[in-house]
Amino acid sequence: MRRAGAGVLALASLAVLPAGAGVRAAAPAPALEVVATSTDLKALVEAVGGDRVRVDSLAAPLHDPHAIEVKPAQLARLKTAALLVRVGLDHEPWLRRALLTLGASAPGGARDLDLSRSVALLQTETPRLRADVAAHVHGFGNPHYWLDPENARPMTAAIAAALAGLAPAERAHFEARRDRFLERLDAGLARWHGALARHRGARLVTMHDAWTYFAARFGLLIAATVEPTPGVPPSPAALGGLVERMRATHVRVLVAEPYADPSLVRSVAARSGARAVTLVPSVGGAPEAGDYLALFDVNVARLAAALDAAP
Amino acid sequence: MIDLLALPFLACLVLTGIHAYLGLHVLARGVIFVDLALAQVAALGLTVALLAGHPPASGAAYGYALAFAIAGGLLFAVTRVRRAPIPQEAIIGIVYAVSAALTVLVVDRAPQGAERIKQLLVGSILTVTGGDVATLAALYAAVGVAHWLARGPLLAISLGGDQTGGRRVLVWDALFYASFALVVTSSVQLAGVLLVFAYLVVPAAIAVLLVRGVGARLALGWLVGAVVSAAGLAASYAWDLPTGATVVAAFGVALASAAAALGARASVIAVRAHGLAALRPAAMALAGLVSLMGLALALFPALDHLWLDALERVAPEVQEAFLTPSERAVRRETLESLARGEAQLRETRALQQDVQWGTRTLDAERQERLRQFLAGRGELTAGDRLVLRTLRSKARERQRYWIGVPLALAGAGGALVLARRRR
Repeated sequence: MRRAGAGVLALASLAVLPAGAGVRAAAPAPALEVVATSTDLKALVEAVGGDRVRVDSLAAPLHDPHAIEVKPAQLARLKTAALLVRVGLDHEPWLRRALLTLGASAPGGARDLDLSRSVALLQTETPRLRADVAAHVHGFGNPHYWLDPENARPMTAAIAAALAGLAPAERAHFEARRDRFLERLDAGLARWHGALARHRGARLVTMHDAWTYFAARFGLLIAATVEPTPGVPPSPAALGGLVERMRATHVRVLVAEPYADPSLVRSVAARSGARAVTLVPSVGGAPEAGDYLALFDVNVARLAAALDAAP
Repeated sequence: MIDLLALPFLACLVLTGIHAYLGLHVLARGVIFVDLALAQVAALGLTVALLAGHPPASGAAYGYALAFAIAGGLLFAVTRVRRAPIPQEAIIGIVYAVSAALTVLVVDRAPQGAERIKQLLVGSILTVTGGDVATLAALYAAVGVAHWLARGPLLAISLGGDQTGGRRVLVWDALFYASFALVVTSSVQLAGVLLVFAYLVVPAAIAVLLVRGVGARLALGWLVGAVVSAAGLAASYAWDLPTGATVVAAFGVALASAAAALGARASVIAVRAHGLAALRPAAMALAGLVSLMGLALALFPALDHLWLDALERVAPEVQEAFLTPSERAVRRETLESLARGEAQLRETRALQQDVQWGTRTLDAERQERLRQFLAGRGELTAGDRLVLRTLRSKARERQRYWIGVPLALAGAGGALVLARRRR
């Protein structure tokens, strides 16, 4: 079903292609096979590549990206892929083993695109410095950088360059599609900034530290994280202190992911008086978040509604 | 502390009430892992419900989990009476492994499934609501009454080892396993697999070790469950630890202490009967262990020697004696600077937190300076720790001859002397 949806999207994006962009030979070259590690990267590659690429995402939108079991068919696709696009840092620890398994035929060099090299990272303190603050999973900087829409500029630039390197004849096509995408992104940014402008400086508490980039972009402040280590529930003292501070400083919104522990979310919200709102961390995580721009439309609308409604 | 932990403690008491009793049955029947197997089958039912489109906390999801667990329980009832040529533990293990594998297969198709399964294993005893506890208490009271009414045949089959088979036993077994499945499914949703297993087995095991008779065992099981729950919750609060895992660990400590107490009593009795010679095997084992520890230090001084670290923490002289005067001075200075640095770090971090929460305001430039200071101070602290480690490894190089070799020789000699006396 998701594949069919992606097809519809690809068709739709074809329809809005400007007439002058399609400077190409009469017989279209076969589509480039691209493997992305997440649905967000898949959406961005599709935005740039259009019908010239066929993209497969290794992770489903709501799976824990740290614990993926690669399936045989995916391994086969990885082996023949023209390009591998990944989040990088330590976001995909399973990928290294999968690539080792493939040996010499694994995508490497120009076929391996690590997008973390194209953006400015946050929270890059070394593990040693952070070690005595709290245990955490992000040793090389926070990897959720796709949640800042401005980062889509350098990311799509890197994707366009990599695709053009593999299919030099299509360079103009990719550039034109990227420009179209950036126009829509600019329109989106104006819309999102507008919707959240009234709430600049608002404090949020999040369940996991996935929203650092998103908050920084829209001028929101993350006061604390409920579950510093995913899957390890907070201790009673930590929870008690957190709830107390939330009440004392009138934090009005608690941001949860769809897979956050519902009883923990309910309990923190009830005790602190904050309103819980579920934001989608990845494209496809909610039915209406079908592509990269829709992801932000959904999240901004939900967050703005929660901040508006909170007392 | 009280307002946060009152509901979890009530939930723990409810769990103790039913599980300590069922645990006696499970221990007597020798089907210890039936609980884990049924919990896994219930988890499979939950994932199937997710796949069918039901939200994880809904009644439908609970219904799926319950139906799967009861089916699993009935399977166990049937396989016991048929007296297959393989032991029942084998069937329980197979059910566990296959349903765990099926869960993985189903999770792969269900969005968020993996997270749910993880949450199911860890549980969330800390965040129970009053409604949860009340529902569970009512349900378990009903199960308890049913078991009280049917206590005659149920206890006879579990304790008496009624192996005759037949329809009558099958019916009672079906009732037992169905109620067991109901309890496990409901408890696991609230407290997680590990905690439920601990409540089922540990109080009953301690009771069986210490007293005789169903009534006395049940009373002791309830007492142990209540005391350990309170201790675990308090430890979780005092030492800032995840609650469910702490209570499970507390149960482990309780069982170990009970076993140690029994061992001590047995050795006192043995010494009274046979004199000090009765302790010889234990003394030999101890001497052997000491010899191995010394040998490890002598051969591989760079490895982690946890016993020596612990000793040095209590008595720093053990390390300082092996340092030159100048090294000793460096060590003292570093320790002082470390303590100062850590105090400063704590203070600055608290300030940073206040800024994050907005209880104190700081302009952007000073916030950045605060961040830089924290990074720098953190590096210095890490450097201090490195100095201490280097000094320790210098000391280890000398300790290997002065502590490691003598310990190895003394331990081996002691063990030999003890062994020779035996003949």
